[in-house]
Amino acid sequence: DGVAVLPAPQNLSVQSTNMKHLLTWSPVIVPGEIIYYFVEYQGEYESLYMSHIWIPSSWCSPTEGPACDITDDITATVPYNLRVRATLGSQTSAWSTLQHPFNRNSTILTPPVMEVTKDGFHLVIKLEDLGPQFEFLVAYWRREPDAKEHVKVVRSRGIPVHLETMEPGAAYCVKVRTFVKAIGRHSPFSQAECVKVQGEALPL
Amino acid sequence: LRRCLISMDIHPVEETFQEIKKTIQAKDTFQNVTILSTSETLHSIKPSDVCCMTKNLLAFYVDRVFKDHQELNPQILRKISSIANSFLYMHKALQRCQAQRQCHCREAATNATRIIHDNYDQLEVRSAAIKSLGELDVLLAWIDKNHQGTLVA
Repeated sequence: DGVAVLPAPQNLSVQSTNMKHLLTWSPVIVPGEIIYYFVEYQGEYESLYMSHIWIPSSWCSPTEGPACDITDDITATVPYNLRVRATLGSQTSAWSTLQHPFNRNSTILTPPVMEVTKDGFHLVIKLEDLGPQFEFLVAYWRREPDAKEHVKVVRSRGIPVHLETMEPGAAYCVKVRTFVKAIGRHSPFSQAECVKVQGEALPL
Repeated sequence: LRRCLISMDIHPVEETFQEIKKTIQAKDTFQNVTILSTSETLHSIKPSDVCCMTKNLLAFYVDRVFKDHQELNPQILRKISSIANSFLYMHKALQRCQAQRQCHCREAATNATRIIHDNYDQLEVRSAAIKSLGELDVLLAWIDKNHQGTLVA
């Protein structure tokens, strides 16, 4: 190893939303110079059974920016240790390690974006593509007293899905949430969105 | 008695293994020997013994195989790490389930497990580890087949 003369990166943290995980840190500044960073990780398996083993991150060994998309590295629902060091030529900093191991089951799940449309008398929904780990639980009902709520699980992504054939003059409402099986968690429901067969989408 | 079953979706693990299968199996120099599949060891396991056998097999890989294999290629290392951490997650889930529902280990599962360990011990440790890694598709297919239905773990 080169002599550690560079300051180690500080303030490591992970922001995780909808199973996309971003490791960030405070940049090391040397005027007029480009600093490269190396990111490494170890899962709980490595920390328990092979603690000397650290694995170079898929996309950030090296990287220039003070951020690293570690989504492809965090592939099991166990705690992961993460560390970063800075390099400038042959100079390297000490490693900085994330204070608390990161587990993807802590990811923030947001209500999904949906587009509710009418295709003639057909109630159609289109959902954002959040990746293969996501299922969508779609709840829809006819807006009337004592309405019965119907539920449909949608796994297809980014393509329109037919929900219901509507009756003329009736209004129908839809809300949706995600489910991630890998971590066994749901997102909150989205705001309900309503359409009337001849009207435009009516906000609640 | 509700069965201890793995709730985790195993297909991502199968996909990960498929990406390294050819490379791993090419390093196996004892092609006519097997560790998991001798005398249909796995296929003779009854549904009531699936929980214990799964836990034993996951422990076999976590405690022995992944530790005994030394990988220098970062791409392969990442994939093996992904599988190892998924196995650790499943093993811990089954241990919790066992504590609640008595995932009994009867003679059949214990004997089958011993056969696998004996097969492993017949080979030099690095060769045994690489062969066991190469047979992960056999194990994953068996887990996939035997852990359908109501999922509790």
